[in-house]
Amino acid sequence: MDKQQVAARIATLFETEFEIAPDRLLPDAHLFQDLGLDSIDMVEMIVVLQKEFGIQLRDSEEARAIRTLGNLQDFVFNEIVKSGAGASPAPQS
Amino acid sequence: MKLKRVVITGLGAVTPMGVGVEALRAGLAGGRCATVSRRDEWQHFLNMHSLVAAPGPDLNEKIVPRQNRRSMSRMSFYGHDAARQALADAFGIEATWPEHFSPGRLGCIIGSTTGSPIALSQTFEMMLPDRDIGKLNAVSFFQCVSHTVAMNVAQCLGITGSVLATNSACASGLQAVGAAYDLVRLGRQDAVLCGGAEELHPSVTGSFDVLFAASARYNDAPSETPRPFDRDRDGIVCGEGAGILLLEDFDRARERGAKIYAEVLGYHTCASGDHISQSNRAALIRCLSQALETADTRPEQIDYVNAHAAGTVQGDAEEAATIREIFGDRVPVSSLKGNLGHTLGASGPIELIATLMMMRDNVIYPTLNLRNPAPDCDGIQHVTSTISRPMDTFIKNSFAFGGINAALVCKKMISEPALKNHG
Repeated sequence: MDKQQVAARIATLFETEFEIAPDRLLPDAHLFQDLGLDSIDMVEMIVVLQKEFGIQLRDSEEARAIRTLGNLQDFVFNEIVKSGAGASPAPQS
Repeated sequence: MKLKRVVITGLGAVTPMGVGVEALRAGLAGGRCATVSRRDEWQHFLNMHSLVAAPGPDLNEKIVPRQNRRSMSRMSFYGHDAARQALADAFGIEATWPEHFSPGRLGCIIGSTTGSPIALSQTFEMMLPDRDIGKLNAVSFFQCVSHTVAMNVAQCLGITGSVLATNSACASGLQAVGAAYDLVRLGRQDAVLCGGAEELHPSVTGSFDVLFAASARYNDAPSETPRPFDRDRDGIVCGEGAGILLLEDFDRARERGAKIYAEVLGYHTCASGDHISQSNRAALIRCLSQALETADTRPEQIDYVNAHAAGTVQGDAEEAATIREIFGDRVPVSSLKGNLGHTLGASGPIELIATLMMMRDNVIYPTLNLRNPAPDCDGIQHVTSTISRPMDTFIKNSFAFGGINAALVCKKMISEPALKNHG
């Protein structure tokens, strides 16, 4: 799975779990201020991402720095790579 | 300390008859039985004998904002809808209610047997196969907790007064109304949204089934059951829904020109202390008598008894003996569970609302499916067909597992807008 595929799957999860229209799911969208998520949503997001990608995110210190959707997509991709859970670096053009 | 007078100024209901108080009234007036077959859904449960239920309507849950909706189950949506109806009924436009109360002066007390049985079942199904807590989602606990309806309704509506949940199975809802009455009477709240809410689930019907308390002989003729007080009764039919009332300080209600359905004159709740599942006439007599005493009302001043009678062999007989002891055969008695099934913790408030409609319309609806009054339910004035007569004062009875009883006495207050409302 490359970075674009991870980003796309996360966007789909945001559409279904948080009912956010696709045109709002921009990389620089702030999770709280722009997408309207709250602390409960963040907990739910971790649970959903763990199930979706088979990774453990709950105890990650780096997760605390996530502010935007792009931050989250990068973070999840890196965690997948670290865990060897099936991701691969995006192809170089 | 001078106690406040307490009146009912708003009604809301979601019942097996549909959404709204008018749907409830029309269903009862039309003599409709809401019991349907659950054979297709429940027959795959081994040893489930009762394959009937009185389901409520499916609501459009999407009208609730997502961040409120995520912690709500079916019973919370029912409670929320009924609560909004009650506020709209009391204030014309539901959203204007904060104009009428200082912060913290409107409370919310909603009872249910348990938290959401659907959510409880889903939670354990997720967690137990692998004993994996990581399978749980973030919000299911908020649907499982015992006060799920009360807290979700309070959150959705922005209520900041006392929020409580009375969890006493089939007496939950009437205990909620009684607790609300006490809070307003004591001046601790200016008004309280109160009532009960429940949702259907095979584990609920199954719990009664295993105790031989659920109807199992009418699976092929659902509209024939339940049969309160009848010779051929064989148990309850579980239903779902919510009934919510707004109880309000009379002086405040009068000041704002509110329509008033009735004054709550008295209430009592007590326990038998002697059997976990069987009701007890001595305790029931004590409960109804104390409610009448609190109401400063004599038995001969009661125009109607709205019975709990759910169609159980033991409970109906004990309640009939209680009514016979206190009222003899002078007072009309009916149970609405032949129409509505047993909505458990919601049944008290739903049937209370229905009785208020009967009082408004000068009519008494009969006990549906009561064809042959059982000898052990004899000696009381069973209503077997609709009666047209004025009703000024009534008593509503509920009782539950744990030997818990609750009874509420209400009296009509003449108020033109109330008479005109609800068609």
